[in-house]
Amino acid sequence: MKISLNWIKNYVKPGISVKQLVHKLTMAGLEVEEVVSANKDCVLELEITPNRPDCLNMIGIAREISAILNKPLTLPKVKKTATQKANCNIVIKDTKGCTRYIGTVIEGVNVKSAPAWMKEAIASIGLRPINNLVDITNYSLMENGQPLHAFDYDKLEGGKIIVRRAKKGETIVTLDGVERKLDESILVIADAKKPVAIAGIMGGAATEVTATTKNILLESAHFDQILIRQTSRKLGLSSDSSYRFERSVAYQGVEYGSKRATQLILENAGGKISKYKDAKISKTQQKGNSVKLSVEQINNYLGTKATKAQIKTGLKKLGFSVSEAAKQLKVASPHFRQDILREVDLIEEIARIIGFDNIPISLPPILSCNIPSEPRRPIRNRVIDRLLSEGLDETVTYAMYNADLVGQTGQIDKKQLRVINPLTKEQELMRPSILPSFLSVAATNINRGQKNIKIFEIGKVYTPKAEEETLAILMTGTNVSDWRPASNRPVDFYDLKGALTQALECMDLGKGITFVSTENSFYEKGQSATIHLSAKVIGHIGKVDGDVLRTFGIKEADVYFCEISMEQVYMCGLKKNGYDAIAEYPAVVRDVSIAVKKDQDFGKIENLVRQLGKPILSDIYFKEEYLGEKIANDQRGLVFSLTYQDKKRTLTEEEVNKVHEKILSSIMEEFHAVLR
Amino acid sequence: MNWDFDQITQKAEEELRAVASDKDLEAFRIKYLGRKGLLADMYAALATASKEEKPALGKNINILKTRITGLIDGERDQIKKTKKASSIKELDVTLPGVSRSTGHKHLITQTIEEICDIFEKMGFSVQEGPEIESEFYNFDALNIPKDHPSRDGFDTFYVDMKNKTNAGQNMLLRSQTSPAQVRIMQKYKPPMAVLVPGKVFRPDAVDASHSFMFHQIEGLVVDKNIKFSDLKGLLEVFLKRLFSDDIKMRFRPHFFPFTEPSAEVDISWKGGKKDWLEIMGCGMVHPNVFKAAGYKDGEYTGLAFGLGVERIAMCKYGIKDIRTFYENDVRFLRQF
Repeated sequence: MKISLNWIKNYVKPGISVKQLVHKLTMAGLEVEEVVSANKDCVLELEITPNRPDCLNMIGIAREISAILNKPLTLPKVKKTATQKANCNIVIKDTKGCTRYIGTVIEGVNVKSAPAWMKEAIASIGLRPINNLVDITNYSLMENGQPLHAFDYDKLEGGKIIVRRAKKGETIVTLDGVERKLDESILVIADAKKPVAIAGIMGGAATEVTATTKNILLESAHFDQILIRQTSRKLGLSSDSSYRFERSVAYQGVEYGSKRATQLILENAGGKISKYKDAKISKTQQKGNSVKLSVEQINNYLGTKATKAQIKTGLKKLGFSVSEAAKQLKVASPHFRQDILREVDLIEEIARIIGFDNIPISLPPILSCNIPSEPRRPIRNRVIDRLLSEGLDETVTYAMYNADLVGQTGQIDKKQLRVINPLTKEQELMRPSILPSFLSVAATNINRGQKNIKIFEIGKVYTPKAEEETLAILMTGTNVSDWRPASNRPVDFYDLKGALTQALECMDLGKGITFVSTENSFYEKGQSATIHLSAKVIGHIGKVDGDVLRTFGIKEADVYFCEISMEQVYMCGLKKNGYDAIAEYPAVVRDVSIAVKKDQDFGKIENLVRQLGKPILSDIYFKEEYLGEKIANDQRGLVFSLTYQDKKRTLTEEEVNKVHEKILSSIMEEFHAVLR
Repeated sequence: MNWDFDQITQKAEEELRAVASDKDLEAFRIKYLGRKGLLADMYAALATASKEEKPALGKNINILKTRITGLIDGERDQIKKTKKASSIKELDVTLPGVSRSTGHKHLITQTIEEICDIFEKMGFSVQEGPEIESEFYNFDALNIPKDHPSRDGFDTFYVDMKNKTNAGQNMLLRSQTSPAQVRIMQKYKPPMAVLVPGKVFRPDAVDASHSFMFHQIEGLVVDKNIKFSDLKGLLEVFLKRLFSDDIKMRFRPHFFPFTEPSAEVDISWKGGKKDWLEIMGCGMVHPNVFKAAGYKDGEYTGLAFGLGVERIAMCKYGIKDIRTFYENDVRFLRQF
């Protein structure tokens, strides 16, 4: 909100420099966001927090300044309404939407330009002077915070004011010249026939005060803040009035606002009051709360040593009345401080008066607590460290994604979790997989000339029932970082599989994870697998399908991707390492080189070898896959070495031979392998 | 098998004289000591030799082996010496070294870790909470009234998920990490000092300083007599460790529904562009939050604070556009 220092000086004289005042206001919770000096005045832009609607006007700010600087506050006096006037015809039909409506009819006004001081005042805070009547309603609003509206009384059908909901099909042309369709959710001010204003937001053009207006009806009312906010949002229409109604206007201020404006009208536009009515719905007037608290309680809560006198003076300056009962202070808040409900609210007021800067500093006595840290963190950190050491960069991508693009990856058939109110298409779906996010990252990088990418992310994916943590890895381009040509080659499936295996190395995976060749719509045919942990499928891995890549704008790159459920990994827990004594007895290493049909999985051969090698086979080390000219087209060569070792003795040649021969003959028999 | 061991030794010595390089020497070694070398043949023969022949043959083979090994070692030293004397350069030592480059942790993760480290050293426990929250934890429990504007679809993302505990309540993407406060207070009893990092979501139009997803860290300390001055002290220690000892800071009154009094913390440092930069929000836990957690009124007091991770990182590293974090250009990722 903008405030003019010249205007403020009508009520309180700060007596300090602008710079000091800006600091004081900011440190009292009225943050000054901008200072503009012009025309011998200084205009401050303040951020008023939502709990302080009483500060959305000059008097409210002046009151704060008076309290912070301990300076006297002078408020404009309003005269009591003289005698009983004839009743103004006001009917409140919607008693929830409107709880008070004061109508004052003033006859014989002279519509002209407002006095120079008033025009200057409202212009200083960015309002355009129009005529004396309109300017007075604006000036009074900005001065004391009570929204007002002046109708041309002669244009009100039947001289009547009815506060009601609009009827479906009704329309109104508002002061800004726009015709607006109304409905039953909207509170309007109507005359005998039609809506003449959208309550609390904007008046209608048909009844506006013009140069020829003679008689006016001045509205000062109290409307429901939620209703006003909803209507304002619905119509996309807001005003200085609606801004204040939305944040709550003081019930008792309705009368002050009405009287203050009436007085200004009589002084500056002439005329006389002919009719008046204060229509009230609630019988008990909104009052401030009363709170009891002790000086000790305040100081304990804040860590301060404030004196009773200091506290009392500060609160009184803010409009509170303070009395003493037993050892406590009884503090009654003024009607405009509806935010003061209990002790802590008052303690905050006292803290503001003392100044947060003047509150000492201390440290909490015990910070150690018995609450165990999130058990996932150390596991996640270990996995991250391993992936980093594999040369992968970590990403953070959005949890939401465009549903169409997710569909293009063939994942839309899974159950989806939708965002009910997305701002853009990019936010309509909670992602069911990190794949689309990663393809976007890959596309962005490739388009910018960064073709060698190895990335991973541990993040959430979502189903309509749950959020689940997953690990995704993507690789594309070349294994670089080495200028020696021999080591540069495109990344492949095995680079990805290796990184994933490394990542999980620290986990207690039992018999480990296995890879089973499977078809998947977003992977190239024959180049993907599901990842199994015991009997459970925990993820998938493969070469991303070319058509899917093109959807994301990736044209000439091979992209490998895998994704596994971290939830399943967490359940395994970290490996509990014990010490494994280093073998004292020599190992015997035998190489095996065989040729098998291409579709024979090494994994099956390995399983058989392990089975037959018990108990002396200690390790299988895979050395080479050969697919070349020296072998038949439908065959491939596999080379691996077997290590035989016993922890307790030296193995004899014969027993190794016996086992090794058995392994070789079984491989040849079961897998139709031949030795090479 | 009959070998003339003297002749073999003599021949080997002659051959060695022709050796001029490491490569020649290696060929010589393989010829005699390699897996299929002469000595290997001899040992194989020894295995099948008759009982009578074995001792003499074995002795001769061993002598030959020792001699050849000696010759090789001697020659190797000789070659080394020659090399040392000459000035031949075998390597271009100025070529770049080859290392296996390690990956880079995302700056957001690094910043979260850095902040968690500071608080963990002060005894805090790090907790996590769900991203998909109920209206209860995100709003009700935090003393945010039923009709509060922040509950509108303009300020909070709602998702199409059933609420398992209260069918009448909507599920949403948490708009702050604060919902974890009441979750933790329900689960544990004070004293407690906890930190909750995580993703939060708000339907803000994306620009250089706004993102519909970002990261926050929530802090909460609850005990019998936690004071506002403790809040000031704790955050002063934290901010000085995170930035530097010579930053200035100030606590400015503000408003949050779940703390009272509430404050925003500004910092400034020498050479900073603005006088003050808002860095975090904090306050004393509102009694209604304790009530929502099921604590008796007045039994405990507490302090709470929250900060934006991206904001801290942008401020520390001079990053101008929040979108940079989510683009994941590898040239950005690899800088940290």
